[in-house]
Amino acid sequence: MRTRNTDKEKIVREKAVELLLKEGFEGFSVNKLAKLCAISVATLYIYYKDKDDLILKVAIGELQKMNDMMLTDFDPELPFEEGLRIQWKNRARYLQDNPTSMLFMEKLRNSTYQEKVFENTMTGFKTAMSRFMQNAVKRGEINPMPVEVFWAIAYGPLYTLARFDNENKSLMGKPFTLSNKILWQTFDFVIKALKNKT
Amino acid sequence: MIAHLNHILIFKTNIDCPEAREKLRPVLDAHSAIRQWSVDLHDCDCVLRVISETLKPDDIIAMANAHGFECSELE
Repeated sequence: MRTRNTDKEKIVREKAVELLLKEGFEGFSVNKLAKLCAISVATLYIYYKDKDDLILKVAIGELQKMNDMMLTDFDPELPFEEGLRIQWKNRARYLQDNPTSMLFMEKLRNSTYQEKVFENTMTGFKTAMSRFMQNAVKRGEINPMPVEVFWAIAYGPLYTLARFDNENKSLMGKPFTLSNKILWQTFDFVIKALKNKT
Repeated sequence: MIAHLNHILIFKTNIDCPEAREKLRPVLDAHSAIRQWSVDLHDCDCVLRVISETLKPDDIIAMANAHGFECSELE
């Protein structure tokens, strides 16, 4: 059966992420990717100009996917606790559905592709997130603070738990799975830390 | 603009460094029937990719050969 092009593109993207994680940006090659996707090298070159173009397009596609998923049901005008809860829900779901994504993003951040990829994508996401924080400050729900401090407290714990979950172990190799109970228990502590008493 | 798929020609070459690519640049850049071209120097097949509505693979192969490069259609 012939598959639709969008399916093919999805396969290429998934396999490219997989291959980049395995081989790194240096070891990655169009040839290896073609083999992994069971399509011809020539086909890949029809859609992508060269290795750099392929990596950039795959990375931008992944970021777009993340962007869309994180903004599901989210509105920067929401009350702080409600908005942050939706962010936690979206991010936890994204990380659990895309276990390789976090590792890939990490690799991307440490690569020469970083500038080209992160500068021009996720603008909708970036605007929504900074507006959300500004609104919360304006309404007196949280105190003004550097954005890094906000991020470290608001999302840092979630990413730490996601990493434990991803590796199936926590501190000193203790087996770990991220349950809803642990997720929302942590969320409550985060709210306690950030949100002003009314 | 997305090029028509049939207008994208893909070749395996031995154009393996920027100097080699620059040797071809004048002739490919100046060709009125070539809309866009690039060489993937990171690839082991040094893939040459040409977008042209009218040129046939053999035309490109002849051009590359004339400048001393190996060039064959990539299947």
